[in-house]
Amino acid sequence: MSKSNTNLIKFLLLVFLFVWVAFTLFPLYFQLITSFKPVAEINAMVPTFWPETFRPSNYTGIFADPGSLKSLIDSIIVSISNTILSLFLGTLAGYALARYLKGVVGENLSFWILSNRMFPPVAVIIPMFFLFDATPWGTDSYISLILLYLVFNLPLATWLMMVFFRDAPRELEEASYLDGYTPLRTFFRVTLPLVFPGMISVAMLCWIFAWNEYLFANLLTGTTVKTFPVHIPSFTQGSQTLWNLVMAFSMVAMIPPVGMFIILRKYMVRGLSLGVVKG
Amino acid sequence: MNMQQTPNSDYPEWFKNRKSGNDLIVSPLIPWAMVGLPVLVLIAIVIYPTIWMGYHAFQNTNMMSLFYNNYEYVGWSNFYNVITSERMHESIYRLIQYLIFGACLEVLLGTILALILYEMIKNEFLKIMLLILMVMPMMLPPSIVGVLWKFLLQAYNGAINHLLINIGILDSMERIEWLGAQYALQSITIADVWQWTALPLLIVYSGRVSLPPAIYEAAKVDGAPAWMVLKRITLPMLKEIIAIAFIIRFMDAYKFVDKIYVMTSGGPGQSTELPVFIAFQKGIREVEVGEAAAYAWLIFVFAAVLTTLFLKYLKNVLKAQAFA
Repeated sequence: MSKSNTNLIKFLLLVFLFVWVAFTLFPLYFQLITSFKPVAEINAMVPTFWPETFRPSNYTGIFADPGSLKSLIDSIIVSISNTILSLFLGTLAGYALARYLKGVVGENLSFWILSNRMFPPVAVIIPMFFLFDATPWGTDSYISLILLYLVFNLPLATWLMMVFFRDAPRELEEASYLDGYTPLRTFFRVTLPLVFPGMISVAMLCWIFAWNEYLFANLLTGTTVKTFPVHIPSFTQGSQTLWNLVMAFSMVAMIPPVGMFIILRKYMVRGLSLGVVKG
Repeated sequence: MNMQQTPNSDYPEWFKNRKSGNDLIVSPLIPWAMVGLPVLVLIAIVIYPTIWMGYHAFQNTNMMSLFYNNYEYVGWSNFYNVITSERMHESIYRLIQYLIFGACLEVLLGTILALILYEMIKNEFLKIMLLILMVMPMMLPPSIVGVLWKFLLQAYNGAINHLLINIGILDSMERIEWLGAQYALQSITIADVWQWTALPLLIVYSGRVSLPPAIYEAAKVDGAPAWMVLKRITLPMLKEIIAIAFIIRFMDAYKFVDKIYVMTSGGPGQSTELPVFIAFQKGIREVEVGEAAAYAWLIFVFAAVLTTLFLKYLKNVLKAQAFA
């Protein structure tokens, strides 16, 4: 291969990379500008690629609308409760699996727990729909969503915490026993601080999955509890969709996961790659 | 990462002779109790529904019979109905299309982009910025991605059609009916590729980062051309990682349903229904629980086989890399 040929290939590959970046950014850019446009401009025959009139009031409108506000709060309640529950149960099980249950049973148990993450939700939702229907709190409730999100978050939290506990040096725990720490104190003062960065990434991943979840929320809830993805269709009035409000609302709803990803990227990549490569 | 455990003989004497008392294992039951709680939860929310579905797959359960509690055993007829239905056959054909143009394309693109990004962008800051930008779609709620693409793909004044007009691909009066019967599945696939190429990209990228630099220096000293390094070193060493990325995408793909709900609700007609979507429709909207259960069980068996194979593969890879 001649030198100029190699350079041409290199150039084309770089072009491909930047075309892909542009392809990734364009929808987000268009979402951003749409969220500042008035409805009339959106419904015009030719879409504008730069808003002619800026209307920040789309955003203030979102926060003034009780329905939208409530859906965001519902999402926060469900996702945070589920994260706390997943992290708590996952830490318990992860610690036991990493430290004590190392035999054949423990190994198979950990893989079984992990395999639940790949469970098709369709086999869960329909029975749970009728099961929750028979309970006093009903289908359309915080509890049903918080519990159901454990289907995908608990296996993830358990598996990742197990990996993090295994990575934590055992010698430090033994040294603390020798120094006369009680088991509980060792766990809280020595072991937990060691896996704390891991816990942050697990919490973030669980939170993002719970925040983004749509399927369970769409099929089970919608009246008393309404997480933000379920709320989006209510911006359609008759045959007209108020796209500016949809986009402004989506913008507000997607800032937390994206912001979290950017700020805590290091933890996250670690959690993701461990969660992915290690399971 | 070498995860060699300290051999038991290295523990101090007191630790080997520990009984109960001032020691973590107050009772050997405690670790089991710690695992037991999550396992009980999983049994309640995963095993119980599976059994419930297994039972109703053989009953003629529908809205009325469920209400009056008078469903009865009908043998394999639910499975028979599912397997022979035209709707199912068409949806499987669509699923295959989606797997090829969605999942496979995502892994291919993700791998190529990750390697270009790692090998060719020298500026460290730019590298990280580009990585963040390309991985970002993965963090977005799939429902919002669906809504956003539905908006972009509007036929009449949608941004994509007008972008194509501006570039000159489309005539100014021409419009592509992206969400019409002809292209709806492709449109959903585009939205999916836009969002999920990020995952294989991130996996392959972090895999490439963790490859030992010494090999590459040796190759450089030997004067090996770039494509040779790629073919002989990078790709063989990333083989397992790429396979895992592919399997993960594949396992998400067969239960893919959220963007379908948001973008087309299976329509127009039934042109974008995938098998899992039909199961949901049957179970929740049409309340044909018996048939939905048969669907769910078929999907469950398929998933169980896949998951078992995947975990077996994963175990081997983890053992080979001394991860676990």
